[in-house]
Amino acid sequence: MSTSPRALVVGALLLLVPILGLTQTWSHEGGKLTLNKPPERIVALNWAATESLLLLGITPVGVADMAGYGTWVREPELPEEVANVGTRVAPSLEAIAELKPDLIVTSTEMAPAAELLERIAPTYVISVYKQGARPYDKAREMLLTLGEMTDRKDRAELVLADIEKTLEEQRERLEQAGVTGKPVALVNFLDDRHVRIYTPNGLFQTALDNLGLTNAWQDTGNYWGFSVTGLESIAEVPDSRIIAIEPLVPGLADSLANSPFWTYLPPVQNHEIYQVPAAWPFGGVYPVKRLAVALADALIDGGSDNVR
Amino acid sequence: MSVDATLPAPGQPETSPRLPIAVALLWLAAITASALPWLDQLLPSQLVSAFWSFDGDQYASVLAHFSWAPRVSMAVLIGCALGLAGAVTQQVLGNPLASPTTLGVEAGGQFGVTLATLFAPGLLAFSPDLAAVAGGLLAIGLVVLLTWRLGFSPVSVILAGLVVTFFLGAINMAFLLLKGEWLGNLFIWGAGSLIQNNWTPFFDLLPRVVVIAALLLALLRPLQLLQLGQASANSLGAKVSLLRAAALFLVVIMSSVVVSRVGVVAFVGLAAPVLARLLGARTLTERLLWSTLAGGGLLLLADTLAHWATTWDGGSLVPTGTTTALIGGPIILLALQGFRNTHHMPGQEASPAAFLPRRRSPVAVAGVLCSLLAVTITLSMGWSPGLEGWNWTPLVQWTEAWVWRGPRLMAAILAGMALGMAGTLIQRMTGNPMGSPELLGISGGAGLVMVVLVLTGLDIGRPGQLAAATAGAAGALGLLLLLARKHHFAGNQLLLGGLALYVFMDAGLRLVMASGGTVASRLLNWMYGSTWLIPESEAFALLALVVGLGTLLLLTLRPLTLLPLGDTPASSLGLPVARARLLLLVLAAVLTAASTVVIGPLSFVGLIAPHLARVLGQQTVGRQLMVAALAGGLLLSLADYLARILVYPNQLPAGLLAALVGGLYFLWGLSRHGRG
Repeated sequence: MSTSPRALVVGALLLLVPILGLTQTWSHEGGKLTLNKPPERIVALNWAATESLLLLGITPVGVADMAGYGTWVREPELPEEVANVGTRVAPSLEAIAELKPDLIVTSTEMAPAAELLERIAPTYVISVYKQGARPYDKAREMLLTLGEMTDRKDRAELVLADIEKTLEEQRERLEQAGVTGKPVALVNFLDDRHVRIYTPNGLFQTALDNLGLTNAWQDTGNYWGFSVTGLESIAEVPDSRIIAIEPLVPGLADSLANSPFWTYLPPVQNHEIYQVPAAWPFGGVYPVKRLAVALADALIDGGSDNVR
Repeated sequence: MSVDATLPAPGQPETSPRLPIAVALLWLAAITASALPWLDQLLPSQLVSAFWSFDGDQYASVLAHFSWAPRVSMAVLIGCALGLAGAVTQQVLGNPLASPTTLGVEAGGQFGVTLATLFAPGLLAFSPDLAAVAGGLLAIGLVVLLTWRLGFSPVSVILAGLVVTFFLGAINMAFLLLKGEWLGNLFIWGAGSLIQNNWTPFFDLLPRVVVIAALLLALLRPLQLLQLGQASANSLGAKVSLLRAAALFLVVIMSSVVVSRVGVVAFVGLAAPVLARLLGARTLTERLLWSTLAGGGLLLLADTLAHWATTWDGGSLVPTGTTTALIGGPIILLALQGFRNTHHMPGQEASPAAFLPRRRSPVAVAGVLCSLLAVTITLSMGWSPGLEGWNWTPLVQWTEAWVWRGPRLMAAILAGMALGMAGTLIQRMTGNPMGSPELLGISGGAGLVMVVLVLTGLDIGRPGQLAAATAGAAGALGLLLLLARKHHFAGNQLLLGGLALYVFMDAGLRLVMASGGTVASRLLNWMYGSTWLIPESEAFALLALVVGLGTLLLLTLRPLTLLPLGDTPASSLGLPVARARLLLLVLAAVLTAASTVVIGPLSFVGLIAPHLARVLGQQTVGRQLMVAALAGGLLLSLADYLARILVYPNQLPAGLLAALVGGLYFLWGLSRHGRG
């Protein structure tokens, strides 16, 4: 079989198309970012970024605080062989450089180190959590942009579609069970006197909104979407249900049971204390799905008069 | 008995009528403020009865009975306990600045509980007091040991206490930084919160406080003898030391049982006795009584303010530790006016003439320091852990390694040099070998500004930070010079001023700590020095700054030599005193600020480096400056290296390591100095 020189030229040009087409530029919080080819060695400096990469089916070469991810975020699972590059507030730049990444994903929390990170690799800066941002929208943007960068846009859209579908399904379950009425307070117990309460500007609000639930706590918290407050503040919204998010402090159930303040709390009296498995409140899009399912299960199963 | 003759009998007219009125007003204000938010839900009579009963049908009443009433009772109980403990401590040590806070007892208690939370949670479940008491005893043990030879000279006791506080605090912070996410509750507890949701903690604490208070009061009579002075009390025999030890032991237990339950509500134990004294409490009985009452009122007021601030802040917790610090600061400043300057800093009496190590050739000393520095630089550039284990970076690859290891090392060395020079400068200006940017609160002034910047979320870049920090340092230093000029830079006034500044910084820090782990971790990382963030450009800018200031300093050697002689001799020797002083002040402030931005306010290098230079036999200003700069650079370069490699790939803030090393050196130096 013989090929004409013309066909060869055309073929060569066709081969060039994807290469040319892939030199793309994105603008982000730290400026502009140009990539010639989809990055393959990516380092994630916070857990929201780690989660987004894993959702896209990409195993990062390095992440910050690897052990903590396994304890606090858990899902999607992080493979063991990923390198740890240090803490999330002060990662080791040298360890990052040693991994020779072709993309670093971080947030403006790392802004003071931006100049140094840029020296290692192109850096994509996106803050899911910062003053005035809607965490879910930002997390969505991060997932889609990372999808574009890594040539996995379809996968990103599938993930989002799956989350939307799940939210819709859980909303229908809740509506059928008729349990969407009363406001819910989402809390983490820090000890038997203090709680971290999730505020309307946080990530979890997206789950509540899509499930047709109201947040019992209406004050805006810090930009992470929570307020640390005394247990007595919960009492200010007497007509609510309390959702205790795991992990719980050991011995909490006992000390609460011994506290008449707690036992007289209207949600406790009404058996409207619900306990749900851990969901990482400062993650990307995925914890919304995780929380929505857990929340629907818990609310439909019915509450009790104490945490377990 | 002759003893009785010297003590005014109770009820004698000398008791100032101001005292009961002022304390009653304090209580009235505190109680009114505390009750105010409840009065639109409950009748006053219902609110009063909330202390013993509640109405199960009315939730406001349940809330008042189980949340408000125990919190008020707890605040009063703890306030009284700490007030009494503070007054006793002051009596025992004959020291108007002593208190559980300033002796490091509270920091020790916190240290104990943090360790127990991490390594022996079972112990905490068994008895929350044990760990705190052990920590408190450790702290005061250190202080006592260190100042034993100095005969508990008041200011050295406080200095040792301050250093022990910073030292244990630094270890505490290291744990919080590395394990932050796990210790969310420790952050809050460390910040001091009096929130209650039942009466159990109160009734748990009440008998303990009552028993300890009774024991303390049983020591009242012998304590009264102590008031007559060391000399006459000594004639009573060896019982005196035993008595002091027993009283201090009780004070430690008192503070520790409080700390283990509500965290550190610092400065109540200092502010209450100071207030009582300022208002005119004279005899021991008066002081104990009114200090106890003032403590209860003060803490109730502080706690109510914290509660109010929480409401204003959209329900986000403002810890009581913040408000006690905010109230404690001004009271300490007030106290500046009230104390006679009878005490001297350690080293003050041992003026340069009495403390003269063998003079050594500056060239030899500088040579040794330079070679040590060279070794550290070589190690730091070459021998490092990587993801695949430790390896030696060959010289040809140093240009690559420089990017990650160079700028931070350079910045650390320069910050150390700046602190060494600033420390020498301040010691010379104040004529006080214990004067240092850290202990006098000049770093604290810079730190305070940085904490405020973090709290307000302003991002003004490095140059902005440097300018702001310089303003903070200059403000603190100017204030100190103004306050201390009439006291010739000696004694309590300087220390108290520094302490008050730290109190304010502490208040901001506690607020951030309670608000949540991540924000706090970032602030703590900065507070203890984040050299890793420094890019080449900033390192070179710092180099230019330090070299420039160093040169300028060499030109000011003459005024530096002359100023300590006093204003009149100095000006008669042809020195424009005011202008020279201003120039030196600005120099010291800029040097301190530049180093504080890099290494944080708590590194101790400004104290140690000049001290080391003197120990190494450098007496004249120029030599001391040079050797102190080298020593400071060496110390921080080591700290930076260790911070990078010890927990790789995690890192510790370099200033934290410097504080640990510096704290140890200082503690050792203090005890050694006393022996001499």
